[in-house]
Amino acid sequence: MQGKALLRFESPTLTQRMRSMLGVDFYRLFHTPMYYIFLTIAAIIPAMVVSMAGMGGPDGMAQAAPLYTNMWNIIAADTPLYVVRDIGDYANMNMVFIFGGIMVSIFIGHDYRSGYVKQLFTTHAKKLDYMLSKSIVCAFAMACMCGTYLLGGMAGGILAGLDMDVNVGSLLIALLGKAVMSLGWASLYTFINVVLRRYFGVSITLSFILGTGIPIIGAAAILGNTPALNVFLYGASVYACLSSNIFTLLVCVVISCLWAVACNALGTLVLSRSDVY
Amino acid sequence: MNAIEIRGLKKSFRGLYALDGLDMTVPVGAIYGFIGENGSGKSTTEKLICGHLVPTGGKIHLFGKKYTDPGVRARVGALIENTGCFPNSTVWQNLMMQTINLSLKNPDAEIKRVLKIVRMDGEAGLKFKKCSLGMKQRIGIAMAMLGDPALLILDEPINGLDTDGMRIMREILVDITRNYGCTVLISSHILGELEKIATHYGIIRQGKMIQELSAAEMEGRCRNFTTLRTADMFGAMGALKRRFDDVRAGDGHIRVYNVNDTEAIVDYLMQNGHVVSEIQKNRVGLEEYYIELMSRKEGQ
Repeated sequence: MQGKALLRFESPTLTQRMRSMLGVDFYRLFHTPMYYIFLTIAAIIPAMVVSMAGMGGPDGMAQAAPLYTNMWNIIAADTPLYVVRDIGDYANMNMVFIFGGIMVSIFIGHDYRSGYVKQLFTTHAKKLDYMLSKSIVCAFAMACMCGTYLLGGMAGGILAGLDMDVNVGSLLIALLGKAVMSLGWASLYTFINVVLRRYFGVSITLSFILGTGIPIIGAAAILGNTPALNVFLYGASVYACLSSNIFTLLVCVVISCLWAVACNALGTLVLSRSDVY
Repeated sequence: MNAIEIRGLKKSFRGLYALDGLDMTVPVGAIYGFIGENGSGKSTTEKLICGHLVPTGGKIHLFGKKYTDPGVRARVGALIENTGCFPNSTVWQNLMMQTINLSLKNPDAEIKRVLKIVRMDGEAGLKFKKCSLGMKQRIGIAMAMLGDPALLILDEPINGLDTDGMRIMREILVDITRNYGCTVLISSHILGELEKIATHYGIIRQGKMIQELSAAEMEGRCRNFTTLRTADMFGAMGALKRRFDDVRAGDGHIRVYNVNDTEAIVDYLMQNGHVVSEIQKNRVGLEEYYIELMSRKEGQ
């Protein structure tokens, strides 16, 4: 403290506010065991799925048809498949967005349950800063989960002895596309959890359902395998597949950013017009 | 310039007004005791000042600026309802997050400084959930004091504390106003404790400020009185009323206000044939004044 003579009030700029808010959220993320648990889950699940999918049946029984013949199918499908035929079409890196939804719900839920959010809003933090910071930090966490998912999938694939042939350029674009989609997903989850902050159970369930892509898979069952579904986050995430090109990445960037802007703007509006509690 | 200036503040919850045109003025450097019954609107007022609630109407200015101004907000610390700490994080980690939020230049030194003020310098590595209630309250104060707060808002900070905890909290609050020039808004039901530190008072009832006064003004309104008992209370009461201005009955005693000379009372009663069996000098403190004010308003 500087003493009683100084009653100067210097307004921090948006950049300064964002720097401090991001600093707090990253500090929290790196100091919470939950983050490392989710990173581990994101690595273990693909490793288990791909290694079990490659196993033969028990002695004396007919071998089940393998889910994957190519290791990289645990990362993404060969082509954009909105209509799912079997678990092999479904179980890929998009599962990270389910884990991410649960993680964001817990992360934001802790803010409200502990009362920490009151400490934030008592000081210079604005509602916009909160939305943006949570979206960015959770997007970072999901992108990291994509990384551990890749490592887990590769380890499982090598253990199962699956084929590793792939178009490296398309694979990289698919990986990048899914990582980019994390921003849109994180913003959507932040928005849901901010709006439903008084109903933790509802917000985590809704995040989970949206993360599974069930609404889009259901829509695809009616509409067919149409690229129009790319306007949704799950659709664009599916679009980032092993036949991706630079246009795919562009679609992912545009869709992710549009959803991020919309969710953050709406979330800020809701927070500004309602009580913190 | 006032630290807090509120005019016509309103807040409704589903059509029910918790605050209905509240006015409040807190001078810079004051320890403002905010008093009222449960549900009178104290916490609502504090939450509005802190920006936790959106007002239905009225204006709030802090240090002459709009209360949402980030520059002012950066220098407001609060302890409202709970400390806002993460239970599984250590005391140090919780304080560190707030130093990052406030962009403090030397966070380690700052945390050490506030922990020393609240006498918790040996407890920094303790997980928050392992702390006692008194420790949690002190951590809350430490959290609110990080940086350079010009205004501290404390909602019932001494609730649940033992006698020693209350004394420590009182010393901390006096210390931060005297030595650091902080303005403190403090609400409490423990009026005896509040009376020891407050420089100003605000009394709220049903969402409206019914009285604001300084400690000096309060002192002026706090009167001496003598309580006494006699065998014939009714007769003695009548005799005293003829001689003294303010004589009342209460709690099985007769109260004679604003008379310092108890011997004069005893002599007068003896002259009138009444023998005093019990007599005591008293003073109306904040608590009695508050009860009197509340009953007066209720009567009206």
